[in-house]
Amino acid sequence: MRLPKRRAMVWLAGLIVAVNGFFPALWILATSLKTETELMAYPISYLPAAPTLANYVQAFTEQPLLRFLWNSFVVASLSTALCVLVSACAAYALTRLRVPRRDLIMAGLMAVAMFPLISLMVPLFKVMRDLGLLNTYLALILPYAVLSMPVCTLVMASFFQDIPEDLESAAMVDGCSRVGALFRIVVPLSAPGVFTAAILAFVNAWDEFLLALTMMNRVSMRTLSVGITLYQGEYAFPWPLISAALIVAIVPISILIALFQERVVGGLTAGGVKG
Amino acid sequence: MLEVSPTLSRRSLSERGLGFVLLAPAALLLLLIVVYPITALVWNSFFDIHLAEPWRGEPFVGIENYRRAFEDARFWSSLGTTVVYTVVTVPGALLVGLGLALLANMPFRHKWPVRLGLLLPWALPLVFSGLIFRWFFEYRQGIVNDVLVRLGVEPLAWLTEPHLAIAAICFAIVWKSSSFMALMLLAGLQTIPRELYEAAEVDGATRWQKFVSITLPMLRPAIFVALIFRTITAIQTFDIPYAMTGGGPGDSTETLAMYIQKTTLDFLDFGYGSALATIMFVVSMIATSSYLRYTRRSAGRGTGG
Repeated sequence: MRLPKRRAMVWLAGLIVAVNGFFPALWILATSLKTETELMAYPISYLPAAPTLANYVQAFTEQPLLRFLWNSFVVASLSTALCVLVSACAAYALTRLRVPRRDLIMAGLMAVAMFPLISLMVPLFKVMRDLGLLNTYLALILPYAVLSMPVCTLVMASFFQDIPEDLESAAMVDGCSRVGALFRIVVPLSAPGVFTAAILAFVNAWDEFLLALTMMNRVSMRTLSVGITLYQGEYAFPWPLISAALIVAIVPISILIALFQERVVGGLTAGGVKG
Repeated sequence: MLEVSPTLSRRSLSERGLGFVLLAPAALLLLLIVVYPITALVWNSFFDIHLAEPWRGEPFVGIENYRRAFEDARFWSSLGTTVVYTVVTVPGALLVGLGLALLANMPFRHKWPVRLGLLLPWALPLVFSGLIFRWFFEYRQGIVNDVLVRLGVEPLAWLTEPHLAIAAICFAIVWKSSSFMALMLLAGLQTIPRELYEAAEVDGATRWQKFVSITLPMLRPAIFVALIFRTITAIQTFDIPYAMTGGGPGDSTETLAMYIQKTTLDFLDFGYGSALATIMFVVSMIATSSYLRYTRRSAGRGTGG
């Protein structure tokens, strides 16, 4: 008698957490499949009566959605690559080499992680303007790489720490240089850590809005997060269209998260709780 | 000893050199993207700079921009709104996040739907969450009013009545941020040794007693870190009100970050915007330093950190 009741409670708990997380995305999905007439009907319908993909077609034709996707992809992947490379070097130096004032450097990195983006945006806008970098990918790649650097460094440092130092020493006795040992021993062994850091950096870049809004004012250079706000008219808010565009924007990142969920959770909590 | 020490010191010196070389790219990027801009920010805040009217020059005005902020009603109201969002959503997200973490800590046979349910809100861009909740709170077609009507309550003008708009925005922020909080708290929950609960059960403790005397105290470091994280991000609130109301009706839902963005990019009043951004920077750094002091101390004690 007690056991089924307990099972039901566990089920219910899982259901609450899942519904809380999935519901908004599912509701947007349902909206994106409705026709304009169905949307205007009152009282509102929950599930689309006659699902249609017309909104998706229109989402791609009304605004350069494919271009937004491409821009987001380019900015996110290049900033991730830069961030991981730079952070891996820094994390290695901080965990393995006798760098003086290590604590101070770590504390400085954490302070950067919590910098108010808006305070950075104001002068950075002028810097990029003066350098003629507005409306170029570089204007977002550089700041994004820096913004994810603290988290990535912390995540990778915690992975580097777990690799026994003897392995490296052994390689160095066998004639490997320090740098050789880094690339032949440490990097392959800490691949999961590097990968985790990369996912976090990618999601951060994909999601960023304020700098993307500031640095890119040409439509063809907009990233997804800003581009989607362009569907709204002066007065009208074409919800089926916006929903379709949102689904297109959410799907890639959701797949990434779904495939590597354990990694992501590990990375997030390593950067946060263990800090 | 005499033979060993030169080689040893040379090795450590070269290690140190390599350390600096490896740290150099990170330092260079930080210098370009953070240190120089922030220095320029503080410097610019003492000048009168209008980006759209370069012929006016950039005269030095001392603390005039700060004095202006002091007398600017819109600055105070945006600051007040930011404080409201912070005061409501920090405890709000903690309570909801703690609830979600406790639910997610149950012994599930399949963990992924629950884990994904916590990760999805985190991965969703803030501005998208704002758009989605704007849709939820829409007067005629929003699902919130639909539920109200079905319950026999009058529909509410969520996004056009100032107090309701603030409530709706707080709701969206709590939804968006509680999942990340739950993930951090869940990691904390999983470090609590099972034996503690077993021992309490032997002593005949109730569920509530176990929660109050084991779970909460053991979770304290995680709760503290999560709270500070949330506070620091709440001070910077921008995307969600931007997407949900654009600051309206009037300026009633506008945060300080939104006012800074408008001052700099829409009004191109760069000097004044810099002063406001400097104020924001100082406030955030005070919050951050309290966080750093805490993690340092706990790292020294060998807990949490």
